[in-house]
Amino acid sequence: MTLQTLRQDWLSNVRNDLLAGLVVALALIPEAIAFSIIAGVDPKVGLYASFSIATIIAFTGGRPGMISAATGAMALLMVTLVKNHGLEYLLAATVLTGVLQVIAGWVRLGALMRFVSRSVVTGFVNALAILIFLAQLPELTNVTWHVYAMTAAGLAIIYGLPYLTKAVPSPLVTIVVLTAVAIALDLDIRTVGDMGALPDSLPVFLIPNVPLNWETLAIIFPYSLTLMVVGLLESLMTATIVDDLTDTKSDKNRECVGQGVANIATGFIGGMAGCAMIGQSVINVKSGGRGRLSTLAAGIFLLLMVVFLGDWVARIPMAALVAVMIMVSIGTFNWGSIKGLREHPKSSSVVMLATVVVTVATHDLAKGVLTGVLLSGFFFAHKVGQILRVRSHSGDEGRTRTYEVIGQVFFASADRFTNAFDYKEVIDKVRIDVSRAHFWDITAVSALDKAVLKFRREGTEVEVIGLNEASATMVDRFGVHDKDGAEDLLMGH
Amino acid sequence: MLACVDQSAYGQSVSDAATWAARRLQAPMELLHVIDRHPRLASGQDHSGAIGLDAQESLLKQLSDEDEARTRAAREAGRAYLNGLRERALAAGAFVVDVRQRHGSLDTTLAELQDGVRLFVLGRRGASAQDTQRDLGRQLEWVVRSVSKPVLAVPQTFQAPSRVLFAFDGSAVTRQGVRMIAASPLLKGLPVHLLMAGKAQAQGPRQIEEARQALEAVGFSVTTDIQPGDPETAIASVMRSLQCDLLVMGVYSHSPWRSLFMGSKTTDLLRSAAAPTLLLR
Repeated sequence: MTLQTLRQDWLSNVRNDLLAGLVVALALIPEAIAFSIIAGVDPKVGLYASFSIATIIAFTGGRPGMISAATGAMALLMVTLVKNHGLEYLLAATVLTGVLQVIAGWVRLGALMRFVSRSVVTGFVNALAILIFLAQLPELTNVTWHVYAMTAAGLAIIYGLPYLTKAVPSPLVTIVVLTAVAIALDLDIRTVGDMGALPDSLPVFLIPNVPLNWETLAIIFPYSLTLMVVGLLESLMTATIVDDLTDTKSDKNRECVGQGVANIATGFIGGMAGCAMIGQSVINVKSGGRGRLSTLAAGIFLLLMVVFLGDWVARIPMAALVAVMIMVSIGTFNWGSIKGLREHPKSSSVVMLATVVVTVATHDLAKGVLTGVLLSGFFFAHKVGQILRVRSHSGDEGRTRTYEVIGQVFFASADRFTNAFDYKEVIDKVRIDVSRAHFWDITAVSALDKAVLKFRREGTEVEVIGLNEASATMVDRFGVHDKDGAEDLLMGH
Repeated sequence: MLACVDQSAYGQSVSDAATWAARRLQAPMELLHVIDRHPRLASGQDHSGAIGLDAQESLLKQLSDEDEARTRAAREAGRAYLNGLRERALAAGAFVVDVRQRHGSLDTTLAELQDGVRLFVLGRRGASAQDTQRDLGRQLEWVVRSVSKPVLAVPQTFQAPSRVLFAFDGSAVTRQGVRMIAASPLLKGLPVHLLMAGKAQAQGPRQIEEARQALEAVGFSVTTDIQPGDPETAIASVMRSLQCDLLVMGVYSHSPWRSLFMGSKTTDLLRSAAAPTLLLR
């Protein structure tokens, strides 16, 4: 890291970064409160978390300009932990999540992201958007018509105001207007203050009040593991999105470690675990934020506003928050993917839908992504398994037959391979030429053994040609697939 | 030979200096124009903070459209400018003149290209020279730090040098520099003045004598001088009194961190020298 990159990361875009940071901070406040409510903790837990994560990730993150804070994806995973064991265990889990993320960064787990296909990513963001939307429904059920009117008015302001002016953040205007209306008309509707304590001071360092024993670890470890996976997934996905938007590169492993450090620190000041936010990062880039300064500014503005305007924040009606969250949900959802359902290959659509369905059903993005990744693997294996042709011709006046095998033989195509031979034919000698085939695993080799055995039982002499070339691709034994020249080996015959 | 130009008052002198060096080195020269989109500089004026349908896709489209238009304009202007300079260099008798444009920031681009290059030629300052008060372009230090080949930094006007001042301090960099000068045809035939300025060192006289012998052995006419005192003023005054019009020096032997706090002798010298300066790493 040279002085020059430091300077470019921090100071190349000061004015825009500060402005964008302010816009993001304003949008972060309702989100942090809403996600605290999803997790079942006081709003101050989410607000402290958002401040601390944004501030620390500005220094430690690998993707300048990306916004990290308390997120819905993470909040959804904590619900049962908070309900069954309380806030202190959440804080401990947050610290452990951070530790796991730092380890993941050190061992370069970020590289595993390449197994997450585009369909899974789309499924992830769609599921996230749906979950954020669903989390708003409790605020919209069993309420008076005032709440519906307020929410509708909020949405109208959010989407209408940018047509008039783009100089002021429309979610802020929504919140200010709706709060003013609620106070002026003295409406009896729920406000942020009803949902729990707000920050009244700067955060302080505290060690989570949990017994340090195996029992505690057994409780928090499963949660921390899922939190780590989901946090890194969303952060790396968001980093890729920001990479694309700004046409610059990011350091994914540094981002993993950075997320970890931010979560560790956050756990110690009484905040919940968080990660990068897709919607907020898009807002940041859109508002002109590019450098680390934008992220830092977002965190600091957020804390200042919340601490000094705490009394006013408590009077914001929940309806205003719901409107903002619906906007986030709509902005996060990938609407193009609905049109894509008809145009894309069926397997991609199935992967995407499976990711969404599993996630929404379990409220666990990790399970959804795992489903999606496994399905993509199955479909891919199935497709590649189709690339197998067996041709044959007889010779020596019908006494011999030569089978020529071309293509990929592995667990998914082994049956097709075995069934491609005609064992009933009465001949003296069979020649199986596999020099243009690839045997990828032991399933393939045993399928060949099986075929040879079947011929022998019919009293036919069998000769296998080119087995060495074919089985050179058995990566575990020879490990040639990742060496130079592997493409010649694999494509050449 | 790579001459890096931008569309500023320095472009022509860079091209002239490169032509001079190319003829001396009998090397092909190439004019390079780097188009930097400054991806860290944002143009976003939308502070509405609202994200609607397919926010990400529409933002991506908008940003890439903006970049596309900017880059295309820069490319066309750059090409016309380079072709103008090319004509000029050919008329001045340069050996094969090639032009090239690349995307990226100047320092990383040059670091990528440096393998096939013997000498970089850069303006002391760049296109922002009129707007800023700095007397040394900000890019120059970055470039010199990121490449390991010699860099010739030229002022706004360039004349073929007639007398060379070599700021020799006995360090490994400058001793290596002496060998490079001796082996290269670039300065062949020019009188060289070896000046050792700064705090007197016990090894000084012996080292400067060795340097003189090395240069005289290949036919340079060499004079030497040791001046105690502040190197910056000593070098400046000798440059004037002996009418040297090319300064040669070794650069940046310290880390950027150290120069952040201590200041850098190289940068000070570069700043005070009005003549073309050959920087050796």
